[in-house]
Amino acid sequence: MSDAAIPTSVGRAASRPRRSFDWTMLVWIAFAILLAVIVINPILRLVWESVATESGGITFDHYLGAYGRWRYIQSLLNTLVMGLGTATLATLIGVPLAWACVRTDMPGRGFIKLCVLAAFIIPPYLAAVGWVLLAGPNAGWLNRGWMWLTGAKTGIFNIYSVWGLIVVMGLHLFFFIFVFTSSALELVSSEMEDAANILGAGPVKTAFRVTLPLIMPAILGGFIIIFLQSIALFGVPAIIAIPARYPVVTTQLQEFFSSNNRVDLAAAYAIPLLLITMGMLGLQRWFLGRRGFTVVGGKGGERRVVRLGRWRWVMFAFALFVATLAVFMPLLVLLQAAFAKAWGAGLSLDNLTLDHVRFILFKHETAVWSLLRSIIYAGAAAFSALTLALVIGYVVKRGLMRFGNVLAFLCMAPFVIPGIILAIGFYAAYAPPPLMLAGTSLIIIVAFTTRLLPIAYQNASAGIAAIHVEMEEAVRILGGNRLTAIRRVVAPLLSRSLIGAWILIFVPACQELSTAIFLSGPGNRVLSVLIYDFSEEGRFEQLAVLGGLLLIVTVAIVAIGFRIVGRDFMIRRQ
Amino acid sequence: MTITRRTFGAGTAAAAAGLVLGSRAEAQGLAKDAETQLYEAAKKEGQLTWYDAHHAVEQAEAYGKAFTAKYPGVKVNVVRTTANVAYQRFKQEVKAGGPQCDVLSSTDISHPIEMKKLAQVEKFIPANAATLIPAVRNVDPDGMYHVTSIGTVGITLNSGKVKEADAPKKWIDLVDPKWKNQVSVGHPGFSGYVSIWVWEMNRLYGWSYFEKLKANNPQIGRSIQDTLTMLRAGERTVAAGSFATALEAKAKGEPIDAVYPEEGTIIIVAPSCIVKGAKSPNAAKLFMEYMTSPASSEITVSYFGESIHDAVKAKVGKSLASVKTMIAPPEALSKDLAGLKEKWRDTFGV
Repeated sequence: MSDAAIPTSVGRAASRPRRSFDWTMLVWIAFAILLAVIVINPILRLVWESVATESGGITFDHYLGAYGRWRYIQSLLNTLVMGLGTATLATLIGVPLAWACVRTDMPGRGFIKLCVLAAFIIPPYLAAVGWVLLAGPNAGWLNRGWMWLTGAKTGIFNIYSVWGLIVVMGLHLFFFIFVFTSSALELVSSEMEDAANILGAGPVKTAFRVTLPLIMPAILGGFIIIFLQSIALFGVPAIIAIPARYPVVTTQLQEFFSSNNRVDLAAAYAIPLLLITMGMLGLQRWFLGRRGFTVVGGKGGERRVVRLGRWRWVMFAFALFVATLAVFMPLLVLLQAAFAKAWGAGLSLDNLTLDHVRFILFKHETAVWSLLRSIIYAGAAAFSALTLALVIGYVVKRGLMRFGNVLAFLCMAPFVIPGIILAIGFYAAYAPPPLMLAGTSLIIIVAFTTRLLPIAYQNASAGIAAIHVEMEEAVRILGGNRLTAIRRVVAPLLSRSLIGAWILIFVPACQELSTAIFLSGPGNRVLSVLIYDFSEEGRFEQLAVLGGLLLIVTVAIVAIGFRIVGRDFMIRRQ
Repeated sequence: MTITRRTFGAGTAAAAAGLVLGSRAEAQGLAKDAETQLYEAAKKEGQLTWYDAHHAVEQAEAYGKAFTAKYPGVKVNVVRTTANVAYQRFKQEVKAGGPQCDVLSSTDISHPIEMKKLAQVEKFIPANAATLIPAVRNVDPDGMYHVTSIGTVGITLNSGKVKEADAPKKWIDLVDPKWKNQVSVGHPGFSGYVSIWVWEMNRLYGWSYFEKLKANNPQIGRSIQDTLTMLRAGERTVAAGSFATALEAKAKGEPIDAVYPEEGTIIIVAPSCIVKGAKSPNAAKLFMEYMTSPASSEITVSYFGESIHDAVKAKVGKSLASVKTMIAPPEALSKDLAGLKEKWRDTFGV
């Protein structure tokens, strides 16, 4: 059946002659309303909370309170410095690595790609604890090694500094720029580089004068994403920035929200950050949208590997160095801590113990429950985000409702809201009566669903766009309705990419701390929050065991993803 | 755990035998039939939720387990957090329409004082409160909250790195430039113990104490337990720390020691109360009886804590009667702490 035979099927539902009332329309409307509620309500409540007085009037006092002290403004400036530093470091790491993995004959490219993924899968707050053990100014392994080697009285690294923040965040977040740059490099054909070679440029000059400018928009886009991700992180600053006496926005938000119980001040303090984020993402779209700059010629042209000669080992050494800092060293010290009586006592047989593992698994009242909760909440959030995204994606792509692009926008909107700010909005929206969802499983699942909806929507809508409408028409001709078509045709056809998307949502949801920290109570404490609580008490050994459990679960899920959807599914540009 | 199977009577009998407590009737504690009655009512509720900032996680759970072992069918959901977090959660819950906890044990006495003002406390005087040591009996004349734990804050140190002769003897020694880059402290915004320590130092030496401390570049953690981690790791060598955990580490052979400062060891009375609108009021009452009974002190000392019953002696450390101690008046704390925390943030930037 050709498209021309049923031209109205892709047009608006309203213009189609009806056989009978299509009750599935009610389902679409219900989902659209649900979407609007879970996305718009928290944002509105956040804004309202920032200007509302107790009696329901409007005031700007909260803004004066939130920005009325130099200390609070200092936190904002500190945050900008930290974000720029992190994005710069991540770029210096991620761009060369992406180039080496995609376009050169560097050895061990597959292994390095796995390491890049591993750096991202290790939750940043866990890496931060690892780095406290590594680079604590007096007791850190690196500093003790340095003092032992040189006989110096003091160490040279101090994790409790803005540099510490930048290193820990940069080594986690460079994943994004790696992915962006890799995808862009895969589109640059070798012909342009050949032209440079013919004109006498060597491989290095070609890389800097031809390849790099071509992928500049992707790099800038990645830079902005990393900047935004880093300023939104809560766990790393809580662990490092407080001893460093380098307050940032997220720790300041926590002071307003938790220590002083001033949701209004927290909301007012958050709004400018939200505006910065929106502005920066607008800028990023603008960079990526300037197509004249980049090379989008489909997959045409040949992409040959650049032969690095002896330099291939230099490149490999660099990649291995990054992997060591980002993955191996933090994991190693955490492993040591998990099995040590006291992590500071060093590596020796009489410092070994299984007590912490036993304690976490069998004696601690809530640890195992927290792990299960993390898994269940993340699984439920991934499932509901995908269901919502699939239905809305279908409605939008098949043009079943007016204002489809508004729905698409709503699905993507949570992307611009840092998790901790979203949590304040959720708290303001759902904690007060009549809902009173504070401390329940539901509030966490809904928050995670909202937060990760953009990933779900991007995957689902891209998938739906790739499925031709004629197969659904067949269902409908045989008497099925659209829901049957989704259930029996669209979803099965998309199953592989939906599994991939499910994992892409599950993994961050399982580790999410920034959103959970303000919404967590006794009945819904997830593992990330328990890890945070342990870090507060300095219980690093038991924390290491918890972190290990979290990593085992995450890696297992990702490994299943590898088997089902293929190795590259997490490193592809989403 | 054998101590858990003891009846309420055992400890009180010992106390009475010691003839240190007032009239016999006063020291009697909870009568058997009153206990049975309360237990029956509590069993119907089945469980209670306890926000506890008094103890470390295992210890907090030990009371919960012991309580349930003594009163089968009444489960304790133990939620161990720092004092501020516990209290903020409670406040948020009240705002959100109803508290999730039944018993709140904060280390910050200004919390129950504020709750009392806001009528968020359920008045209950446990019969066992009469068995407490006199110093901590009737802290609230209206019987709204009761001391269920005391803590001590003093100078703790890594004895592997600090020789006894060099060790600081007084609180003021910690701001001596000799200890630059060596001091570890908690954060009053996160810890009730630390905020009372701040109050006492400010009382003794004024705010200049903290300006001098700042010049010494202290390591600022969050909870007071964090300081022990720093000592253990050798990251820092001296700290304003909690004695219970430090003496426990010492008893286990770790290179940790405690110094009772000459100005006075800080005694922190930690109150518990039943919150208004508790979902399990009877289980909460029974739990308050338990926490004020000598049986709970038995658990406390087994974790190297300070006993609040004469009949139960602390396992390690000096007797508090033999050293100079300081107890800050609750009302003053309640009035001053918010301002001091803000001052701290202004001085240290976090």
